[in-house]
Amino acid sequence: MLGPTDYLLWFLTAFLEAGAVVCALRAKCFGRYFVLGVYMAAAFLLTAGRYIVFLHFGFSSDQYLYFYYYSDALLTICLYFALMGLYFQVFGEMGAKTSLRVAAMLLLAGTALVSYFIIDSSRDRMITRFVVELSQNLYFVGVVLTYLLWGAMLKLRETRTRLIQLVLALGVYFSAFAGCYALRNLHPEWQIWRYVSHLMAIWLPVAWSYTFLKIPEEARLATARLAATRSR
Amino acid sequence: MNRWLAVVVIVLLVLASAVGLRNVVNANGQTPVVMANGGGPIPPTPWSNGGGPIPPTPWSNGGGPIPPTPWSR
Repeated sequence: MLGPTDYLLWFLTAFLEAGAVVCALRAKCFGRYFVLGVYMAAAFLLTAGRYIVFLHFGFSSDQYLYFYYYSDALLTICLYFALMGLYFQVFGEMGAKTSLRVAAMLLLAGTALVSYFIIDSSRDRMITRFVVELSQNLYFVGVVLTYLLWGAMLKLRETRTRLIQLVLALGVYFSAFAGCYALRNLHPEWQIWRYVSHLMAIWLPVAWSYTFLKIPEEARLATARLAATRSR
Repeated sequence: MNRWLAVVVIVLLVLASAVGLRNVVNANGQTPVVMANGGGPIPPTPWSNGGGPIPPTPWSNGGGPIPPTPWSR
């Protein structure tokens, strides 16, 4: 059964997700980072939805089980588009928007296809397996894409501090996910896994709220500017 | 033409890297399910209930005929 820590982390996650949307609105940057805001709003709504389903049907019910996994897949797709939104912010001025759109859709379709081939042999609960598999594969696509984006930002000497913070927060999130996935594989018996997903879900809204509130859009990273000047 | 080929190559590289990374991380082949979007405790997956018996699902009601699922009509 669920303990008080589960409930506390659950409510805290919902509160922080709503807080991130409010912070983006308050900093007047919701339009600029629209996809990120939509992801946070969707995360808040689905977290609340999970709680409602949990209240009505219970933790062990099929309803909660299916609602949880399907909503997670939906949120992972939203997160994928949020990451693509950051790509647009970095590469948008280089006139690569059409290529990025095509690449994003091709990658999503390719991930869905790979997920389908992985679960193709299992006839039982195929759609649910597909949804979970797609979700897990998209997480790993997110890991690779975030590292690629960070590499590109270093190469392009990106100086927009807010954008750098947003990408780095996402990098920490995806790296933590990959690390947890590996460690859970090695030590599935550890009880800590029960709380790890909560803590990972808390990280993104906290980091993004801080970025929206504390770092102005016009802030630039001085060290990158210095490095650029030195290399001339 | 070259530009679109480059896009396809990059997409395939990212996809291969992601699937490869997942396979490397998933060394002993148990494929855990880790979810980190939104709040709420993770329920067990219907197909990985430890060593115990799998509980009945809406489409496997004991020995009776299996009703059609909504998505396979």
